[in-house]
Amino acid sequence: MELWGVQIIGVVVAILLSPLFVGIAQTVKARMQGRRGPSLWLGYHVLKKLWAKETTVPEYSSWIFQLAPTVSLSALIVIALFIPWGGQVPAGWPHDVLTVFFLLALERFWVGLAGLDAAGTFGGLGASRITTLGSGIEPAMFAVFGLLWYLTRGSLITPIMPHWWSHPLNMLPWGLAVLGYALVAIAELGRLPVDNPDTHLELTMMHEATILEYNGRLLAESQAAIAVKFTSITALGWVWLGPSLTSPWLNLVLRVAELALSSVLLGVIESLVVKLRYFRLPTYLGIAIGMGMLAVYLVAFQGGK
Amino acid sequence: MLIIILAVFGIGISFFATKQKTSKIWTLMFSAVLVMVAILDFWLPSSVAVNGPYFVLTPLRDWFLLILGVVATAASWFRFGYLQHDERATSFWLPLFLVSMLGVISANNVWLFMTAWELMSITSFFLVTLHHEQPGVLNAGYIYLVMSQISATLILSGLLLMASSLHTSSFSVFAASAHTLAPGIKDFVFALLGLGFAIKSGMVPFHIWLPRAHPIAPAPVSGLMSGVMIKLGVYGVAQFLLMDLGNTSVVWPFLLLVFGAASSLLGVLYALMEHDLKRLLAFHSIENIGIIFLGLGVMGLGIDWHRPLLEATGMVAALFHTMNHAIFKSQLFLVAGAVEQNTGTLDADRLGGLIRTIPGITIGFLVGSMAISALPPFNGFVSEWITFRGLLNVVSGSLGWWTVFGLVLVLVLAMTGALAGMCFVKASGVIFLGEPREPVKQERIPRHLTWPIMLLALLCLVLGIDPNVAIHAISSIQPGLIPNESLPLIPIHAMQTGLLLLLLIIVVGWLSRFWKVRKVPRWSCGRVPDASMQFTSASFTKSVRTTLAVIYRPHRNLDRIGTYARYFPDRLHYKGGTSPIWERFFYQPGYRLVWRLSHYSTKLQAGPVRLYLLYLLGTIGILLLLLR
Repeated sequence: MELWGVQIIGVVVAILLSPLFVGIAQTVKARMQGRRGPSLWLGYHVLKKLWAKETTVPEYSSWIFQLAPTVSLSALIVIALFIPWGGQVPAGWPHDVLTVFFLLALERFWVGLAGLDAAGTFGGLGASRITTLGSGIEPAMFAVFGLLWYLTRGSLITPIMPHWWSHPLNMLPWGLAVLGYALVAIAELGRLPVDNPDTHLELTMMHEATILEYNGRLLAESQAAIAVKFTSITALGWVWLGPSLTSPWLNLVLRVAELALSSVLLGVIESLVVKLRYFRLPTYLGIAIGMGMLAVYLVAFQGGK
Repeated sequence: MLIIILAVFGIGISFFATKQKTSKIWTLMFSAVLVMVAILDFWLPSSVAVNGPYFVLTPLRDWFLLILGVVATAASWFRFGYLQHDERATSFWLPLFLVSMLGVISANNVWLFMTAWELMSITSFFLVTLHHEQPGVLNAGYIYLVMSQISATLILSGLLLMASSLHTSSFSVFAASAHTLAPGIKDFVFALLGLGFAIKSGMVPFHIWLPRAHPIAPAPVSGLMSGVMIKLGVYGVAQFLLMDLGNTSVVWPFLLLVFGAASSLLGVLYALMEHDLKRLLAFHSIENIGIIFLGLGVMGLGIDWHRPLLEATGMVAALFHTMNHAIFKSQLFLVAGAVEQNTGTLDADRLGGLIRTIPGITIGFLVGSMAISALPPFNGFVSEWITFRGLLNVVSGSLGWWTVFGLVLVLVLAMTGALAGMCFVKASGVIFLGEPREPVKQERIPRHLTWPIMLLALLCLVLGIDPNVAIHAISSIQPGLIPNESLPLIPIHAMQTGLLLLLLIIVVGWLSRFWKVRKVPRWSCGRVPDASMQFTSASFTKSVRTTLAVIYRPHRNLDRIGTYARYFPDRLHYKGGTSPIWERFFYQPGYRLVWRLSHYSTKLQAGPVRLYLLYLLGTIGILLLLLR
């Protein structure tokens, strides 16, 4: 019963706080650039404003274009539901990481469709770029989770911390998995150096290009989807790679603190790196894949379980 | 007995149902009977009891019969609304094609199997070359026939080798005692049959016939060929090589995995570059056969390593994906047929915005696309998930290189899935969404075209939300494999995922009132927008083509026309494409080699009768010496 309570409250808190976490990253970036930056609550104000506005759609678009933000947001909320917010899930509750990947693919599919449905150049451009990038992100995700497959003999989201804690030699594979996951998560979330959510330049934008034609409630949904994705993907990494406590409620508090920490880290990283050229991204993802494979290789040949 | 009656019934349709309407009705009934027989025999084996000396139905065969029945029902229903050039010939060959596939599935000895197999090749050849007056069709059909014959020869020799080692041609005896064969013979059998079935299934690098033959056939036939016929290669591998032979050298499952991975990745990469809808779908068949073979490889590893759980996971993955692919691929081919009938073309770069003219067909295509891209809540998601689980069990259950190899396979499958998603975003987006690129004709779509597609789409959804029926059915094919029902497959939670997703979509959609919108012109940086500013199928995949230039060998040619062509061209001519590397580096040299070798044979086979008499005499002499 306690686990159910933690899970439900965890999902609600995570979804409600997600615009704040995105806001923290923006504020840290602004401070690093010597600006004061907007309020931490800007994300909420923007959502409120957009929700109240009239919605218009391009003339040649169809119901696909209108339904797409709903589908993406729903898929991402389902992912948030599957994250064990209290360190473990109630009995019988799905928390399978493969399903999370397929749900991410579903979100990408609909964002791509919406991009093409807008019948403009930017939508197609964005759809082409995010799906191409996605075909590199997906194997990279599977590679960095290699340690999870190997150590837990399954695909459930479980903390692997105890495994490396038991033996100092396991530190290296764990470190590789952490770095690899950070690289992939940045790519999946569309942050620098992979994609820049702050510009609207046709040379650089990817995800922004697909939602360029949205406004009003549909844009609010898309923005909310981005925020929820940020929370879920970051929390996913902390759950399986980070520390976990015995009490579920303390775990939930720890998760929120970790999410805030991740936002600060992301702000710092985004201030330090520049955007990579689009055709350098295969190399970037290749490094993540290499790290994941190397981690599994080290563990598999050392025979450590 | 039942099978013989069914076969006579089917052949009767071909020869005696002369009126088009009657023939269509009888074919539909024949297909429906196939479904019923399969279901009855599977769940109530005593009711049908096909257990004669010539034809036998086992649970595995029932499963393939069910696949045949479902696809055949949809395809023959589709024919009621499908207009085509030469209907009479289709009406003649199609029932025969169905009967031959029924024969392949139910035959219980080598002779019947091979007869049915050859009949299947020949009837499908005639169905493929229906429009033989068009350029290129006969050539494609010829390549298909040659590949089929090579495959049939290999399969025949493999089966004869088994038959001669076991001193029987009955498949029941094969199933009972083939696992006692000597390892050397097993290796030979695996090589011959594996190659033969791989060619028939269209595995890379034996795939070249598939994208040639499937697109030129009428849509219902393409659906049947892609959905069922190439799956009979999967049936052959599962039945003869994995279940019958049992324990083999671990090299063979390894090869199944390697070829499966290569087919899936290369299949989808080639599909990505196609802009003809049917060719695109044909390449996706290669991809999905690859995924099925990954499942079969996992099953083989489970057998060889004596790990029943691994074997069961692989078997469920392969057979469930076989069914799923049959459903959504025939659905997509039927959609392609409907699009062709509606617009008169299948070239993605000439179409666009079909969602406004044929909304029902569009939904059918979208559901099929999401199913084939393994997205929840559709059936492709479930079977691909199980395939992943099988491969992950290879990763986690072994040490050293097998772990790394398993992980590489997982990555290949992940990339395949993502690229398939990209390809279907492209196909649905360019063909069905956006603004029409060129004015095309708009024939009315009859009801009978939409309903079978909707039926298959519904099946995709049902199997995606509640896959347990199918998973239980497949696990019961090899009883005793899984002690505790389908324990390792439980964490899929397909039903929770699917229902949660649908519920959330309804709630969020209702909250956002996404239908309350006003239409405005799209943003085009202040210029006058037109259809040509949309992305085409070629520009959508440009970055993949550039990144993987090693595989594609792209070439392009840009002609500037006009007085100041260098800087201010009046018109531009662009011609680009990719090179068929298998044809260039594998088949062309092989063809030249065979051609050169054939010159030497003219010395032996020069024509004079007395030379042949000499050979005859010599042969008899040697035989006499040997048998002395």
